[in-house]
Amino acid sequence: MLNAHILLLPILLPLAGAMVTLLVGNRPRYQGSLALLVLLASLFSSLVLLTQVWTNDQTMSLQLGGWQVPFGISLVGDLLSATLVVMSQLVLTLGVIYSLGAKDQVMNIRTYYPFFLMMSTGLTGAFLTGDLFNFFVFAELLVISGAALTAISDDRFGVEAAYKYFYISLLASIFLLLGIGTLYISYGTLNMADLSQRIRADPGQPLLSIGAVLLFATFMVKSAAFPLHFWQPDFHTASPTAVSAMLSSVVVKLGVYGFLRMTTLIFIDQAEWIRGLLLAVGALGILYGGFAAIGTDNVKRMLAYSTIAQVGFILVAIGWGTPLALAAVVFFAFSHSLIKAGMLMLAGAIVSRAPIKSAAFEVVTGVGKTAPALGIFFLLGGLALAGIPPTSGFISKLLFFRSGIEEQDFLLLGLIAVASLLTLIYAIRAFQRIWWVPGVQETKTKKAGDSFAAPAVLIILVLVLGLWPEPLVRLAEEISATLVTPASYLIAVLGGG
Amino acid sequence: MEWLTALAIGTLFGIGVFQLLRRNVIRSIIGVLILLNSVNLFLLSAGAYQGTQAAYTTAVGQPSDALPQALVLTAIVIGLGGVAFVLALINVISARYQTSDQDQISGLRN
Repeated sequence: MLNAHILLLPILLPLAGAMVTLLVGNRPRYQGSLALLVLLASLFSSLVLLTQVWTNDQTMSLQLGGWQVPFGISLVGDLLSATLVVMSQLVLTLGVIYSLGAKDQVMNIRTYYPFFLMMSTGLTGAFLTGDLFNFFVFAELLVISGAALTAISDDRFGVEAAYKYFYISLLASIFLLLGIGTLYISYGTLNMADLSQRIRADPGQPLLSIGAVLLFATFMVKSAAFPLHFWQPDFHTASPTAVSAMLSSVVVKLGVYGFLRMTTLIFIDQAEWIRGLLLAVGALGILYGGFAAIGTDNVKRMLAYSTIAQVGFILVAIGWGTPLALAAVVFFAFSHSLIKAGMLMLAGAIVSRAPIKSAAFEVVTGVGKTAPALGIFFLLGGLALAGIPPTSGFISKLLFFRSGIEEQDFLLLGLIAVASLLTLIYAIRAFQRIWWVPGVQETKTKKAGDSFAAPAVLIILVLVLGLWPEPLVRLAEEISATLVTPASYLIAVLGGG
Repeated sequence: MEWLTALAIGTLFGIGVFQLLRRNVIRSIIGVLILLNSVNLFLLSAGAYQGTQAAYTTAVGQPSDALPQALVLTAIVIGLGGVAFVLALINVISARYQTSDQDQISGLRN
């Protein structure tokens, strides 16, 4: 038996780190390196967790405080959770590295790094918890730290963006609380594994579908799925670069994770109509995100709209729900996090070199001439976003198309092909305008801007995953195998058989 | 008596939604506050097996469930923090935009 206490480390390390960094608040540099150390330790522990879960092929669970399941709070580390935790810690670590090399004023505010670490706590906690109410608590922690980080942004519209985001998130938490209440009235438990068992045993409760719809709405807000997306472009444009890279890559994956758990664990017998809804929502998101990204005249906003489209892809794949499609979801989510974080950081690095601090195309046109290396990475990232080899984006699109052909859903496949073309158009257009077209204010560009070590690492990782995707594909396939057989999850949490 | 509780929660929820949709930022956040409280009451009533029976006072009748009460405590604290944060944001916004009308807070319209 493995020591399941390792599940606590990725949650507790950033939480403790947040408090310590707050204590050394009068020395911002010191604070940043400390945050980096904490996140590296947390990344390392989550890697250990993943290898343990993977090599032993066993879901780990920990009952907090020794309370008997299902009365206490359980932490559950199955392959999906462990992989998502590794993904989020990896991207968050690179986010701190970017913050260390950034020129923004916001890095000198003493609550910046503590909030960053809190964001990490909320994210890993929400991925690892096996209890719905605990999920709500961690999701709130994530939301409030993300909103606070945006509110202190250098961009003077940061407060407005934070207000919009936090308002809709408060409403989402009201939905989630109502959903928790209805499920608790019907089944008397909040442990996800226990809930899954009881719902299968007694699917006739009148409040069941209401609870499912409320959870669905919550996760739609969390993942910025199409009709509830309106806060997302504002929010991802106005926040500090490092933060927007986190929000648009790993934070939206929380909703994706919620949908995965809904369809493969909690509501197995009701998954049919949930999947149907997901297909519709995803298809709308793909179309809307693609066209809006083409129509906008701001680099960061373009990338934010692109996230809506990419989340749409993921939702469609969850909607197909076959083992192959679920593997595609995991691979897609992982690779999209790396790509989008890298692209947003590159955009931020360009904006920091522009004569005035704005991501509008008319300001950044021609700015790329001072940093041609950035252009290569941006082009590679754009190709990855569109799914062109040799990047990981190609592998994820390939898995995606294979699952779509298996499902014989040619209408959606056609839509996706069109959307990929749109992606290529807007990514290349952004590249052209920043690096190709001579700018009017070329002389005024600043020589020194944000360091681009972190996005370089991310884009190189994307390339590596594109050239050598075997391990991650195998991991994704194993994850989808565990997802379609929820029995192993139930046994690991509830014990017995 | 259960219908009375249900009616009260429903009315509160309705008032909350109505206030939430007002254009004034302060009225709107008060709506959120009412909404959060009605959800808390809903959670609380989820734990009572019989609407009027207090927990563990009588030998007869089922005691009410303690877990929702713990949930409500957590939800109250989180709601308090959230509303306080929004009020702080509103404070900055009203100084920066010189307005309390939600429709005027639109500096980010592409």
